[in-house]
Amino acid sequence: MRNAYLDQFPDEARVIKAAFWSSFIALAIGGVLGLVQALHRTDVFRFIQSPDYYTVLTAHGVLLVIVFTIFFLVGTFTWAVTTSLDRGVVDTRFTWAWYIMMVIGAALAGITIFSGFLESAPSILGSELNADVLFTFYAPLEAHPFFYIGLVVFVVGSWLAGVDWFRTWLAWRRENPDERIPLPTFMVLTTTLFWYICTLGVSLSILVFLLPWSLGITESVNPLLTRTMFWYFGHAVVYFWLMPAYLMWYTMLPKFSGGKLFSDPLARVVFVLFLLLSTPLGIHHQYLDPGIAEGYKFIAMTNTMFLLLPSLLTAFTVVASMEHGARQRGGEGYLGWLKALPWRDPIFTGMALAGLMFAAAGFSGMINAGMNINYLVHNTWWVVGHFHLTVGTAVALTFMAASYWFIPQLTGKELWNRSVALGQVVLWFIGMTFMTNAMHRSGLFGLPRRTAEPQYQGFDFEPAVGTVGEINMQVALGAVILTLSLALFLLNMVMTSIGSNSESIPDNTYADTLSGAEDSPRILDNLKLWTAIAVVLVIIAYTLPLASIIDAGGLFGPDIEGFRLSTWVDPAVIESLSEVIR
Amino acid sequence: MVSRPYYLLIRMSSGTEQREPDHVRTLGHEEYDPIGTAILIGIYFLILVLLWIFMYFVEFLGNGPTVVGMALTVVGLA
Amino acid sequence: MNIHTYEKVWIVASMVLIVGFIATITYGAVGPGIAMIDDDGGDINPDEINDDERFAEPGVEHVGGNEYEVTVVAQAWSYTPSEIEIPANSEVTFYVTSRDVTHSFSVVGTNVNTMVVPGQVSEMTAKFDEPDEYGILCNEYCGEYHHTMEGKLNVVPEDEFDLTELSVEADDEIDAGNETTITANVTNGMQEDLETTVSLEIGNQTQEEDVTVPGDGSEEVAFTVDSADLDEGDNDWTVTVDDYEESGTLSVVTPEGNESADGGDGDA
Repeated sequence: MRNAYLDQFPDEARVIKAAFWSSFIALAIGGVLGLVQALHRTDVFRFIQSPDYYTVLTAHGVLLVIVFTIFFLVGTFTWAVTTSLDRGVVDTRFTWAWYIMMVIGAALAGITIFSGFLESAPSILGSELNADVLFTFYAPLEAHPFFYIGLVVFVVGSWLAGVDWFRTWLAWRRENPDERIPLPTFMVLTTTLFWYICTLGVSLSILVFLLPWSLGITESVNPLLTRTMFWYFGHAVVYFWLMPAYLMWYTMLPKFSGGKLFSDPLARVVFVLFLLLSTPLGIHHQYLDPGIAEGYKFIAMTNTMFLLLPSLLTAFTVVASMEHGARQRGGEGYLGWLKALPWRDPIFTGMALAGLMFAAAGFSGMINAGMNINYLVHNTWWVVGHFHLTVGTAVALTFMAASYWFIPQLTGKELWNRSVALGQVVLWFIGMTFMTNAMHRSGLFGLPRRTAEPQYQGFDFEPAVGTVGEINMQVALGAVILTLSLALFLLNMVMTSIGSNSESIPDNTYADTLSGAEDSPRILDNLKLWTAIAVVLVIIAYTLPLASIIDAGGLFGPDIEGFRLSTWVDPAVIESLSEVIR
Repeated sequence: MVSRPYYLLIRMSSGTEQREPDHVRTLGHEEYDPIGTAILIGIYFLILVLLWIFMYFVEFLGNGPTVVGMALTVVGLA
Repeated sequence: MNIHTYEKVWIVASMVLIVGFIATITYGAVGPGIAMIDDDGGDINPDEINDDERFAEPGVEHVGGNEYEVTVVAQAWSYTPSEIEIPANSEVTFYVTSRDVTHSFSVVGTNVNTMVVPGQVSEMTAKFDEPDEYGILCNEYCGEYHHTMEGKLNVVPEDEFDLTELSVEADDEIDAGNETTITANVTNGMQEDLETTVSLEIGNQTQEEDVTVPGDGSEEVAFTVDSADLDEGDNDWTVTVDDYEESGTLSVVTPEGNESADGGDGDA
């Protein structure tokens, strides 16, 4: 008798499937826009005007790091909670409600961004519909109010998703008062808690400052204040989208390797550390900002560096779990066991390669975390290389590999083609290797990020090794390979979904543990305690910097009005403008 | 899939109660020695240390001019 | 808790790594003296940049010794001044602010790199030992022509650097038989006195005068020119101070009727 997720929780399976498809649509659009940018920046093929590059970049960023990742996350977390608690959500109507709310928010923000391509965007609420402000929307760059409203609606939807998981857990707790929280649910709950803490910053920034300002209700903003509130959220969000990947590595990858999770207690410690330290370090994105004293930057660095610990622990636990699987499969020797891993399985291989890339990302992240070395790499293409290894590979490749497991579980249909899937994950790895090594290297000689045409009139870049042309070629080639890989992934998803039902779907289970929850102290499950400490750490890290920013520039800044930059410009104006500029 | 002798099929406890046809043995927490992991993680450690030194002392400090404090400013380390 | 020995070793190694990283950064701050951009620059209202003591006239100023101050105003999509010249072997403090949105001021191929946030002044000091030419670029998205925002920083050999300015006032024409004065105004932006020679070439004559221009001051040198020494018609003149020169033409005309004998008084 088949016992896939669909058979256990048919109602939940439908919501999760919807969330995954929302995620895939964002991935498809955002990914293709990535190719457009790579070809434009490197001057390999330019078919849009450079001002439109920034509309493309805004859409690429928002669609991939917010919409793609978080839709996949809510699907994964709903699966993890229901599977590990072995009970459905309390009320699927509530689950659909938050899902639909997130869709509305994403659509509103998306439409606002995309109307930036129109020659004359419609005017709504007294201003033109566009949002060429990039993912970071630093004031005084100003977007249409719909952009901010869309983001807030999306985030509130994700808050309600968290409420759903907590409700389900509390319902389970009443039925099982003495049991330890199952590990997948523990991971979901700790992640949700730091999501609540960190999104408070960006929500306040939007609701109190940016939205009223874009509607003309308030006159001015304090750019450093809204920027600091963005980064209060902006680094925690990267752990937020990383956590479902971690969840898969801890709870599924050992199983796919043929083994068990090495240590449940350490997995709990890791997630507690993420809850504690994810937020009070956002200032490390502002190492080169004026108006923030060096001491606060040093505190942010210390917290950031200590947050390496859970990731380094994860590296050990996950590899040890894989080795356990390999040895159970007959692997021998110091390193010979690596050959015994199921490398022909796209799910295993995708996640293992994602983990390998994350190890490399760990290194560039350490550089980014180092306070004064930030002068070398800040806002260069190095940083873009770094997060294409993290969110672009560790997260995205894990999600794609996990989809090869999830979609059959959710549809009851067998994966269309395992060989295509294996080729797809390997292509992604190769494409990212080309692209990110070139990006990292280019940062070392100062090639800037977020720039449509990094070709300047008055000077040339001087790479110590290689040439700018060779770097551009690697990035363009990498982007083409990645787009091909993306197309194969989507093809596999579509073909699987329109395929016929299969009885041979594996059971919906997650990995067992070698050292289980019974080995871990009960205090680890005390979520109230850890949340309280996390809040205290945030207060310590942020009170003084925020106070001094408000003290210097005021809550609403010194009469700083917005700059609404519509990117469609009359070509004649472009000509005369670029004359003036040169 | 390689088929294994039946006597090697072992029912796993709790979470993963399903057949694992590729298994040739079952290792518990006591019998399992993750020496391969220790080697790999040791190599990773060395790479991190060497690359860090290279990045900081060659790439960064060699990339001057660099922003420095005024002559008498005490460097603030809160 | 049941933690494997290898894993305990790895936890210790991880902590060593983390502490080692923090120690390296601290060494960078204390040893080579690397300082972070901080709140020393203070804040400023972007609407009042033009009235600000420091930013009203952005550019290079000599503080004394080998210390210089460079003030820069960033705005979409240019820097003022767009080209900066400083001497080698100098210690330069940059003050950068923005008139509109967030920019950066990044000297390409160096570790001189700061965000420029409206409302804030970014202050940073760097030493430039060797002559070189650097590009400056904005690496924070600042609107649709962000990619065109660039500048230059030229570090010239010490002996080729000065902050001397020369301006000359001279008549365009004089009546034959009259005298006129060509006045050179030499401004010295350096804090030390400038000892130099101002020379005027006109016709086939050369006049020279040694001057000492005080630090952060200016000096006027007046050359008297007699039309008797000049040819009828146009006479080209050139005033030279060090590497600076300014030229013009003085016409000697024969007065007609009651016309005023004065020439024009345009600057060359």
